[in-house]
Amino acid sequence: MGELVIGIDLGTTNSVVATVQGGVPTVIPNRSGYRITPSVVAMARNGKRLVGALARRQAVTNAERTVVAVKRLMGRRWTSKALQDTLARMPYTVVQGPHEDVRIVLGETQYSPPEISAMVLTELRLDAEAFFGEPVSKAVITCPAYFNDAQRNATKDAGRIAGLDVIRIINEPTSAALAYGFGRPQVEKQVAVFDLGGGTFDFTVLHMFKGVFEVEATGGDSLLGGEDFDSCIIDWLAEPFFTKHGIDLRKDKMSLQRLRDAAEKAKCELSNQKSVEINLPFISATQKTGPLHLQSSLTREQLESLTAELIARCLRVCEQVLGEAKVHAGALGEVLLVGGQTRMPKIQEAVKSLFGRDPSKAVNPDEAVALGAAIQGAMLLHEEQEMLLLDVTPHSLGIAIAGGFFQKIIPKNTTVPTSAHHVFTTVKDDQPSAKITVLQGESDLADDNELLGEFMLTGLRAAPRGTVDIDVIFDISADGIVSVSALDVQTGARQSITVTASSGLTEEEIQKAASANEDWMLGQKEDPEFQARKTKAEELFREFEVLWPKLTRAAQNGLGDDPLQRAQAALSVARLQVAQKESQGLAASIDRLERMLGALKGALDRGLGQEGR
Amino acid sequence: MFAEARDLGGAIDLPADIQRELRDLESRGDRISHYELLAVAADADGGDIRRAYLERSKRLHPDAWYRKEVGEFGPILSKWFQKLAVAYQALSDEESRAVYDRDHKSDLNPQDRVAVEKRELRVRDDERRQAERRARLLHTKGFARIGAARKLFEEALDHASKGERSQAIESLKAARELDPNRKEIAARLVDLERDQARARANSALASGKDREQNKLYPQAIAAYTAAFQLDPKSSAAAAGAARCSMENGDLQAASTWGQRAVELSPDDEDARLTLAEIFTAMNMKARAKAELNAILKKNPEHPEAKSLLKGL
Repeated sequence: MGELVIGIDLGTTNSVVATVQGGVPTVIPNRSGYRITPSVVAMARNGKRLVGALARRQAVTNAERTVVAVKRLMGRRWTSKALQDTLARMPYTVVQGPHEDVRIVLGETQYSPPEISAMVLTELRLDAEAFFGEPVSKAVITCPAYFNDAQRNATKDAGRIAGLDVIRIINEPTSAALAYGFGRPQVEKQVAVFDLGGGTFDFTVLHMFKGVFEVEATGGDSLLGGEDFDSCIIDWLAEPFFTKHGIDLRKDKMSLQRLRDAAEKAKCELSNQKSVEINLPFISATQKTGPLHLQSSLTREQLESLTAELIARCLRVCEQVLGEAKVHAGALGEVLLVGGQTRMPKIQEAVKSLFGRDPSKAVNPDEAVALGAAIQGAMLLHEEQEMLLLDVTPHSLGIAIAGGFFQKIIPKNTTVPTSAHHVFTTVKDDQPSAKITVLQGESDLADDNELLGEFMLTGLRAAPRGTVDIDVIFDISADGIVSVSALDVQTGARQSITVTASSGLTEEEIQKAASANEDWMLGQKEDPEFQARKTKAEELFREFEVLWPKLTRAAQNGLGDDPLQRAQAALSVARLQVAQKESQGLAASIDRLERMLGALKGALDRGLGQEGR
Repeated sequence: MFAEARDLGGAIDLPADIQRELRDLESRGDRISHYELLAVAADADGGDIRRAYLERSKRLHPDAWYRKEVGEFGPILSKWFQKLAVAYQALSDEESRAVYDRDHKSDLNPQDRVAVEKRELRVRDDERRQAERRARLLHTKGFARIGAARKLFEEALDHASKGERSQAIESLKAARELDPNRKEIAARLVDLERDQARARANSALASGKDREQNKLYPQAIAAYTAAFQLDPKSSAAAAGAARCSMENGDLQAASTWGQRAVELSPDDEDARLTLAEIFTAMNMKARAKAELNAILKKNPEHPEAKSLLKGL
């Protein structure tokens, strides 16, 4: 048995954590006993951080302080069109961050998407630690195959903030294939994975043989998932309501959250039945009509026609990837369905007709990705796992050239590790430096691709223009990290640099967030007795705070300053005890504060009574 | 460079046999053939080559030794895995494999050379037999034609999955003749023929570049011309033919190729520059100037264009 390592499927709507125990990949149940944890984070009214099912349950009543689908914001720039489209449907507030990135407003604080994701990861880590009974730090986290470098780095940063040593980020469909291929080492097979999750769609073709998994081609759409199916239903419900009553339910955060829940529920039910009733009483109200209710019935056929375009988009991606893998749809040995949205009968039908075979039922669509990540962790760290994953770069890598064009240097679907080089020449006499812009994407135009990084080649030899040749070498390591080194061809002088797309956080910010998270975790681990006292004390602090303005007024109206000063002293003692974790002392302080509060409330009641007279 | 493992420090715990293998690979460098690197016989078929690649990856991929302290062997593993991937790429497509076999036959060890020749013979033999069989099947009469077409279609898929594209195409052609109404036959044929043209053009282009680098200009012109015929949109082939014709002293041909390259890809500065040089050599200054000005209009700082223009 090697070092403990966990695999995490950090999903748009749900997350799962798994490990390989005694040679068997196993899902780790969370501390409430469930195998799936909703990827939802909320700040309760009392300032407490809620994650998972607890956060999800209170989403309707606390819509503005509940973060769902944060994965859609990971690694996105504020100015990107994809982001602006996404924001329109988010019930919480998102603002521009300091580095052209995004920040989520929760109460008084702004959080970056990796920090929110880190809260989910921390929860999963605590679940794993409870399961093992010892600390866990090594993890493999999955991301959609079509995530670009910025999104991958944001995911990695989230892991670091959660105190995890992320040994690898792997692609979700590949991960599912690992789960499928585990225990079938001798079978040689070509497998396709159709992965339609909450927020993203991926399609990957792999070849497996004797424990080696070779990714042949991969593609997808990072903004196409189950949530878009929900949105179709939301629009279908909200538009007639708007026509009839002139109220757009999607504009109100609370009713949007109720619509969202109802749409998701209807969608899931329609996978098993032909029609559903959607009932949303008191969804809105007007002065004239009083409360308004929304009542509708939706059939499976209607849902299928509402979402036909989304399914067609998935199939177009499949055809493109099959072409890149040079494989005929009918020639595949197996088709795996992954992600909750693949439960929709119409999708299963579409997949069946494209590939001419029934999709495999060998993997659990919700758990396969996490299990695969755990397997990859074991493959890397444990001696006994004789398996290997040959993954590819999902996007072409290249540079910006004169005229605003993009020159590909490493094409997509190249197996990593890989490297390639390109010769540049100076354009001015005695040019001291040259700027090289590294991009990722498929467009011929530089601007349409994702900026990975820019760097300066400095200290170039003084020479007439066109005579200094610089050979720039691009390396992508097995864990997807791009590094660039430059070599002066004539002199052999060398420079190197690692190019990392920014996740939106600086190193300092990551460190700070990580240590804040560590503090929070320590807080979670305190003994339950102190925890209960602390909660009680904090309640009292708030009650005093609320009461304070009235008390100061009462002090002037005959109550006197004395009781207030005594209360203030007791409060600061108790605050100090909370900070220093003095459990016993705090218990005494709580008693005292409760007595004082009772007495002051009594005095106020009498005082207010006099005032009213 | 790697005389003894201890030279690299004592912390390395990569197994001795893989250390030895890497040292051996390093000492042989570029002299190792694709077949030797993949550890397959030179007459192996497509499926064997793929399986060999995956097996060898288990030894040479850096992740296979992730938990080990590999020290300075890290970059060496990565380098040889990449060479392995390149070898697999080259041999996994029948067009590029044919080009590799033709261009590198003299570098192969005697045993592999014999194997390549044996395989070439076998492929030709196989093709002849298959052709005869197809001819027989084409004589099928009546309803049995549909069944014969299905058989050929399945054979084609089998050939295609083994990377035997030209065999697959022949089978599909025969299948289409027997059953012209079955759409998937025609569709698959279109796909494969497109892949074939692309692969042929790419390998001809690669062969041209290889020969140009080795200053074998007449052979390079032949390869570039072949690449252009296979892909009439390839400005790279036209530009290559232009450069080599100029080197070869055939300015008339060079200017024809050069103009073709520029027409196909008007934004390609290098192609225009080559054409300008050709015009200069032919003493057609006005036309050379026109090309250089076209470059400078888009990129006023282009150094070579500026200095050439000054010279005129």
